[in-house]
Amino acid sequence: MAKPISLAVLFTLLLGSGLAQAQHAADDDGFKQPMQHLQFNPGLDQREFERSTLSALTVYDPLESWNRRVYHFNYRFDEWVFLPIVDGYRYVTPTLVQSGVSNFFSNLGDVPNLLNSALQFKGKRAMQTTARLLLNTTLGVAGLWDPATRMGLPKQKEDFGQTLGYYGTPAGPYLILPLLGPSNLRDTGGLVADFTAKSQVNWLNIAESSTNHPEITLLEVVDQRSTVNFRYGQLNSPFEYEKIRFFYHEARKLQIAE
Amino acid sequence: MSHLPRLLALLSCLAVITPASAADIDASSYGYPISNPFEATLATTPPALRPELPAEADINQRDYKIKLRPEREFELPDNFWSVTKMRYRLAKQPGEAPLIFIIAGTGAHYASSTPEYLKKLFYGAGYHVVQLSSPTSYDFMTSASRLATPGITRDDADDLYRAMQAVRAQHPRLQVSEFYLTGYSLGALQAAFVSELDETRRSFNFKRVLLLNPPVNLYTSVTNLDRMVQTQVEGISNSTTFYELVLGKLTRYFQAKGYVDINDALLYDFQNSGEQLSDEQMAMLIGAAFRFSSADIAFTSDLINRRGLITPIDYPISEGTSLTPFFKRALQCDFDCYLTEQVIPMWRARTDGGSIAQLIDEVSLYAVADYLKNSSKIAVMHNADDVILGPGDLGFLRRTLGERLTVYPLGGHCGNLNYRVNSDAMLEFFRG
Repeated sequence: MAKPISLAVLFTLLLGSGLAQAQHAADDDGFKQPMQHLQFNPGLDQREFERSTLSALTVYDPLESWNRRVYHFNYRFDEWVFLPIVDGYRYVTPTLVQSGVSNFFSNLGDVPNLLNSALQFKGKRAMQTTARLLLNTTLGVAGLWDPATRMGLPKQKEDFGQTLGYYGTPAGPYLILPLLGPSNLRDTGGLVADFTAKSQVNWLNIAESSTNHPEITLLEVVDQRSTVNFRYGQLNSPFEYEKIRFFYHEARKLQIAE
Repeated sequence: MSHLPRLLALLSCLAVITPASAADIDASSYGYPISNPFEATLATTPPALRPELPAEADINQRDYKIKLRPEREFELPDNFWSVTKMRYRLAKQPGEAPLIFIIAGTGAHYASSTPEYLKKLFYGAGYHVVQLSSPTSYDFMTSASRLATPGITRDDADDLYRAMQAVRAQHPRLQVSEFYLTGYSLGALQAAFVSELDETRRSFNFKRVLLLNPPVNLYTSVTNLDRMVQTQVEGISNSTTFYELVLGKLTRYFQAKGYVDINDALLYDFQNSGEQLSDEQMAMLIGAAFRFSSADIAFTSDLINRRGLITPIDYPISEGTSLTPFFKRALQCDFDCYLTEQVIPMWRARTDGGSIAQLIDEVSLYAVADYLKNSSKIAVMHNADDVILGPGDLGFLRRTLGERLTVYPLGGHCGNLNYRVNSDAMLEFFRG
């Protein structure tokens, strides 16, 4: 009795695979006609792209004119001041030292990450970040190395803007901050809160010493710019302002939801 | 019965007459893991199967700029200050070395991901590398294009050639043993025209030219891409737009994963998760990306040439002026609309008429068919499932290039450029 059934199964399998192959069958030239299998809107008059994009363009931006000027200011500053410094820093600093510096500041940054994970009652994440802080500060020699990531504890960013968003605070008007780049009213508040928290906690005594040694802050800023891959003009569009605004808006929504 | 020997003789004669045929890579031994052309186009090769590349820090490179069109500084509004000079990237080897030019694809910047990848590949193999933006890109149109109306391939190639000459002139001490040229996608089509131009202008005497996934009939390619936003996508409704659909999927994917991690393997992992996109949704994404390029082209060309179709002539624009209303207008113009509203009128005015069929012939690979046939230094690598091709296009390439054409069974549009088998073949071709 088993035989006819298995035969039937085999038959359907063969038929199925035959169909699957037909889908990618090539014509006489060896061309597989990938477009042929798509389901098209019969009238070819669908306006979904336009509808989606036009609705994506509606980000609350009452200060647009000001923001655009700051965007151009940041662009010039980046090009004439920031990036030359970053390039010089990269040129004179060995790669190993650069990654040490990045790890060091990233370890300090885990303090607000921990606080904000705790504020959102994300227990697992708070535990993981605590473990990261302890491991990296001890085994990683004050955070110069990052053994925690290698042990399977990846860095998980949480800032106060995200915490506010998590509890339902609306984003508020879009803002481009001088030197710091895209933000909104909520995240700007978050930035201030995180900065205050960082200096209150004073992890490894860095926040206090940097008041006497501004070069520490400078190094942090340069390190941050050299680890962020974004370059103005990279999107290469006359509408870069709109695109960054959309990406920022969506990226924050995603970070808050996750 | 006596027919058989005769038939055999005839067949063997035919076999002798048939020109050397293209190298078709066997699907079973090729080993490329993505069989879906749309997924391959978007996600490219999984990181484990990519070639080894030199680290960013080991590459001696810089971005340079040249003033090619001095009038643009005065023609363009204030907020275009950053694109009045042509920029490009040059990676230098320590001593004498061959130099390769890379031409980017539709709308792409010289520093976008594919030219960056190709730079690393060739730099690692000992070439000086120059990366150039596509003539259809915003920065090239404003800073290097004479007509700022890309699409007439011969003119675009001419602009590229002048740009290349200027690049060479800016580095007189750079020791170059010989010149090579490559381009991918639309850049490959332009590379063919640039190479033909070089036969008469002789500035470079390119030793070898490699075209990666070129469109054959430019109109077929743009029609395919324009059509991709017309796919029937499941899951969109009055309250959910296409982007919300995709972003929702992405959010759920990250929530399931536990943390946000954006890396090279993201799209590949995503497509292997429960949230994967359907073919129609992927096509819509590819189509949308193309529409954004089209919008940039339509807006920029209209503005520079003061055509008044999108931006009113003499509309005051400063750094604080919102461009969003013009973005909205430009978004509603697909490539076909750009062709009919801007390219064709200009082309007709300049060349005294002509039909659309004639224009298509002039701007596609057909226009250089004889050159491709007789020039042994040019090779083409293409994919059997490339989404920018139409029926008959591979046949044209087979007839024209013979054994200098390699057809890979998979890879979609440019998805397998960073597959180790392909990168080895590319380096091997230039090694000669």
